[in-house]
Amino acid sequence: MKLWDIIKSANSNLLRNKGRTFLTILAIFIGSFTIILTSGIRTGVNDYIDVQLNSVGGEGYIEIMPKAMTEIMSSQMSLGSSSGPQEYNPDKNSLEMTAISDSDLKKLRNIDGIESVKPSQQISAEYIVSSKNKTKFVVTPQALPSDRINLDIATGRLIDINGDRPEINILPGYAEALGFGSDEGAVGQTVRIGVVETATMKTREVEATVAGVMNKSIINMGRSWVNVALEGKILDVMYTNLPDSYRDRVYFATAEWDTSLGDEGLKRIKDDMEKLGYVGMTFEDQVGMFKTFLDAIILVFTIFGGVALLAASIGIINTLFMAVQERTREIGLSKAMGLGRGKIFLMFSVEAIALGFWGSALGIGMAYLARAIVNPIASDTFLKDLPGFNLLQFDLKWLAGLVLLVMMIAFLAGTLPARRAAKKDPIEALRYE
Amino acid sequence: MKKSKQPRGKAAPSQAVPSRTSGIQPVIIATKNLTKIYGKKSAEFKALNGINLEIRRGESVAIIGKSGSGKSTLMHCLALLDAPTKGEIFIGSHLATKLKKRRVNRLRNKNFGFVFQQFFMNARDSVLSNVELPLKIAGIRHRERKRRAMEALRIVELEEKAKSRANDLSGGQKQRVCIARAIVNNPSVIFADEPTGNLDSVTGARVEDLLFQMNKEKGITLIIVTHDEDLAARCSRQIHIKDGKILSETASTVKGGSK
Repeated sequence: MKLWDIIKSANSNLLRNKGRTFLTILAIFIGSFTIILTSGIRTGVNDYIDVQLNSVGGEGYIEIMPKAMTEIMSSQMSLGSSSGPQEYNPDKNSLEMTAISDSDLKKLRNIDGIESVKPSQQISAEYIVSSKNKTKFVVTPQALPSDRINLDIATGRLIDINGDRPEINILPGYAEALGFGSDEGAVGQTVRIGVVETATMKTREVEATVAGVMNKSIINMGRSWVNVALEGKILDVMYTNLPDSYRDRVYFATAEWDTSLGDEGLKRIKDDMEKLGYVGMTFEDQVGMFKTFLDAIILVFTIFGGVALLAASIGIINTLFMAVQERTREIGLSKAMGLGRGKIFLMFSVEAIALGFWGSALGIGMAYLARAIVNPIASDTFLKDLPGFNLLQFDLKWLAGLVLLVMMIAFLAGTLPARRAAKKDPIEALRYE
Repeated sequence: MKKSKQPRGKAAPSQAVPSRTSGIQPVIIATKNLTKIYGKKSAEFKALNGINLEIRRGESVAIIGKSGSGKSTLMHCLALLDAPTKGEIFIGSHLATKLKKRRVNRLRNKNFGFVFQQFFMNARDSVLSNVELPLKIAGIRHRERKRRAMEALRIVELEEKAKSRANDLSGGQKQRVCIARAIVNNPSVIFADEPTGNLDSVTGARVEDLLFQMNKEKGITLIIVTHDEDLAARCSRQIHIKDGKILSETASTVKGGSK
């Protein structure tokens, strides 16, 4: 018997009992559909993050934080450390532990592969306002630590980091709100930023030029980027009437490293920082934390899908056992006419594989349908502020792999009934009523 | 070969192996001390007890016996559907009991045709696809399969039913389709197990005529298991089985003739 004939007759045998076949396929479909959708969301999110990383993230840029800082953060997150109370270290007080000293900055600069280290201060502002209208808007300025960070600029240009003029890249929406009419109208205009003096709680304004308007993205996290000149002016206001030592305290730093060293080099740089008591994090690391979290959720749903597939494969076993029982005489006749055991095994295996194929194919079809419906709705509602974020994305190779996997599972499930069919004695089978 | 008694006196005494045509035809199936035992020691049951038999090409042989006599077991062994406990079966020059399963399957597929009392058709399939089954198993291409199946249906005069569902046919038509299925692979032997057992006398006669027509025109050896005396009498040779042994053999003068 030719393989093509076996495949054809397997499919027509499945059609003999449409209800039963449909229910079995439905069970496989539920499992595959769950897995395809969760993976589709994962691909969608990751694709978006990757695009964002390429447009916003920066190569060769690393953020440095004292290890004690991350430890405090993580112990707060885990509701207190499980290792019990920590002993007080008289050599370093808590402020020293969480700050970066001058000597440490020097040591960090001396790490092989590090090109430059820039201490960063936390700056804050109250509002942003223009002369076009009097309404003040909340703003979160942050000094752009490195020009290796690519900002996704929609209009205008990136701020000149080390330029003399104080400059700012504003978020979309601000241009209109500030009364510039359009993004183009805002470029080159002057805005004023209100900053509070820490010592006196008085608010003073500093002036800045809008260099350009950014596109919205998750990685920006609502920050407006400023250059060194503007950062200095904001700090001047913030630390008015405070001792210099206060202003010079550095809690984190950013560094640029030689990207030609590759991932290995980056790992060594991070290890060197670790030895000095610092944690280095790249953009990818920060996003990686989010990805890990996402992957954990995806894993749970994939396990649900897997359990559904397992249940479905028991359905396959059941369906095929019934088919073997019903077709006992047919099996006996075929055997009498010289059909070998292997071919009979193959006939029922192909039926199981066909069930797996149609179930997962239906899953893919429905997943594409879901994508056509869900993506536009998502983009119009909760993803409205994130242009270019397609919630569901499918990878064809991955889908093909899933179909193969489901067919494999179906085949394994089918081996039990197929074996029973293959082992039937033709005379016994023909006598079967 | 056993000396024959003449239980019904219909057949003429004959020592020679009967043949359809003049001249002795080669032996197509032979058995030596064929024994089939069911059950274990204490509950042992000898379904076949030392059967020695020779069937020549073109013969029509009736295997006759009461139920439980072992006639069906004998047919199953001759058709290589069942393996004997002891003894040997020769198909042509092959010692079938020593052949590999694969070879046996091929042998059955190419050389044997089967007709059963209960028809055994795939009820939901078309008549054509039922007739095609042995060719499908042989791995013959679709077009050739269809051509040969239609040819077989033409012989049994059921061409116009090719597209009907097997279940929609009458009993006599079903058995004729089964004959078409049995001859579609041009076999050298047709095994028929009570081929008219489920049919009334008129349709049964038509089926019998067809079987003997195949025997005459195509030279296909017929091995018919029956307890229908009239059908047995139409065969060229009758083998009576009792308690797993050959009780007697007779040969008809009216070989394959009409009633």
